Amino acid sequence: MSENIISLKNVVKKFPVGDGFFTALKGIDLEFEKGEFAGLIGPSGSGKTTLLNIMGSLDAPTEGQALVMGKDIATLSHKQSALLRNMHIGFVFQVYNLLPVYTVFENVEFSLLLQNHTAAERKKMVMDALEWVGIENQADKKPAKLSGGEGQRVAIARAMVKRPEIVLADEPTANLDAKNAHAILKTMKQLNKELGTTFVFSTHDEKVMGYLDRIISLEDGKVVKDEVVEAQYTV
Amino acid sequence: MRLAFKLAFRNLIGAGLRTWLNVIVLAFAFILIVFYHGLNSGWNEQAKRETVEWEVGQGQLRNNGYDPYDPFTIADGHGRIDNPQAQGLEPVLIRQGSIYPDGRMFSTFLRGMDPNQKVLKVPVHLLKDSKADFPVLIGKRMAESAHLKQGDEVLMRWRDKHGTYDATTITVAGIFDSNLPSIDAGQIWMDIHKLWEITGMPENEATFYISATAKENMDVEGWTYYNQASLVQYIDDLAEMDKIGAMIMYGLLLAIALLAIFDTQVLSIFRRQKEIGTYIALGLTRARVVAIFTVEGSMYSIFASVVGMVAGYPLFAYFAKTGIGMGETPANGIATLQRIYPVYGVGLIVSTTALVIISATIVSFLPSKKIARMNPVDALKGKLQ
Repeated sequence: MSENIISLKNVVKKFPVGDGFFTALKGIDLEFEKGEFAGLIGPSGSGKTTLLNIMGSLDAPTEGQALVMGKDIATLSHKQSALLRNMHIGFVFQVYNLLPVYTVFENVEFSLLLQNHTAAERKKMVMDALEWVGIENQADKKPAKLSGGEGQRVAIARAMVKRPEIVLADEPTANLDAKNAHAILKTMKQLNKELGTTFVFSTHDEKVMGYLDRIISLEDGKVVKDEVVEAQYTV
Repeated sequence: MRLAFKLAFRNLIGAGLRTWLNVIVLAFAFILIVFYHGLNSGWNEQAKRETVEWEVGQGQLRNNGYDPYDPFTIADGHGRIDNPQAQGLEPVLIRQGSIYPDGRMFSTFLRGMDPNQKVLKVPVHLLKDSKADFPVLIGKRMAESAHLKQGDEVLMRWRDKHGTYDATTITVAGIFDSNLPSIDAGQIWMDIHKLWEITGMPENEATFYISATAKENMDVEGWTYYNQASLVQYIDDLAEMDKIGAMIMYGLLLAIALLAIFDTQVLSIFRRQKEIGTYIALGLTRARVVAIFTVEGSMYSIFASVVGMVAGYPLFAYFAKTGIGMGETPANGIATLQRIYPVYGVGLIVSTTALVIISATIVSFLPSKKIARMNPVDALKGKLQ
């Protein structure tokens, strides 16, 4: 682990509120290396999701610099940031955000449609991804027919199918029971080990923390603690 | 763009009933527009055909003193050219007269035409077969209004070339059925030789000559040649005027259908904010998301055109074959068709499809533009924009 793939320097994020501004991030300095399994923890409103959104180039810092895969997020055009997300970043959301009219296969295939893959390649990649998360037999189902755990597995498969360098997971276990949460986290940890993908979580779930190798504590928009830890659970 | 079509197609099929409701409304508008347009085209074509076949032939050489819209010109608006048959011209002489069925006086126009003519469909050949002393033909409108039927005898009065009144009994040798009131209502057809004889006019005297062959122009002093196109121009003019009314109807129909699409799109963009945010998170540019939503709207119209054609084809084919009964309409000189056979050309289908697709694309694009201004983070949260 030596390659720096995310670098945040004095990142400030302000949101307009009424006549003034609310400062969600107050000078964040962080670096993430390839293959990390890290988590942002902290109470609601501490800036976890905002930081994740900036790392995912869904938002840009008001001040400071956010470099993701060597690209300065603030200077990217819509097209460039879309390309960055499509090629290098996978997202896992709290409520899965699966596209309801698509089947599991089509949901996972979606990101690949934006890349230059043949149908046969896409099929193989999708089936591989579904196999990683253990739901290859659910490929033809619509999201509405899946359980919460299965839905989140699809979301992980969708994030991983394009083999991104970074996966950003926003409260991925918040809607899952303990059994499913552990299963999901084990899957992600496995993928982190096997594929070398960097995972950054935003969470206040203790179960998630048990799998993390690095825990960054945020409070009131500032990093209050950044420590490398021994993961409680391993795969 | 291919991807936008692919995704839009999947979204529409996946949306199920919502899609098909919009498609049905738009398809209904499509069918009505094509049907109504076909009806107008059918009327226009039939009216022209009937007018050509029954009244104007390939053209008319008209005496300069005669104005078909001014009955007072009939008395003097006539003349003669030498050997008109050699030039493919069939003389028609019009005189004023009156008949007295059941003691009532009916003002009429006496129209003389050669029973051997083949230029018009008026069945004057029936006059040759009649055994009556003075056989005439009338149209069914005339027969109804004068209460005359085949074989009836009636007193006819007219003035000869010197203005002297004369009268005789005529026999209705036949009643013809034409869609053209101008050759039917108030008209009595007779052998032109007989008309020349009773009016004391010389052979070939005519109010106008009908041309058997298409001519662009004829240079005869005292006469003006009107080609077929100019003689049926008033039908095109009428159709053109009718188009304005039709356009308003098309506009209203389309507006209702497009309103449904616009409404669906606005609601879609509001309800599908998370989906929009997800698209952007997965790497779609905002322009591409706008394209997907716009194409979705356009696809309603493509589906509607296909559904409209499939559902409408049996209807169109049936009416094109059997026609549509229009009932009796007042006689005002214009062809009043009792059955209209709608005409559906490729141009009509293509232009209606294009109109529906283009307008649906525009109303889909307008609300979709909003996506370009959406913040993906807010969209992912499903925040009200």
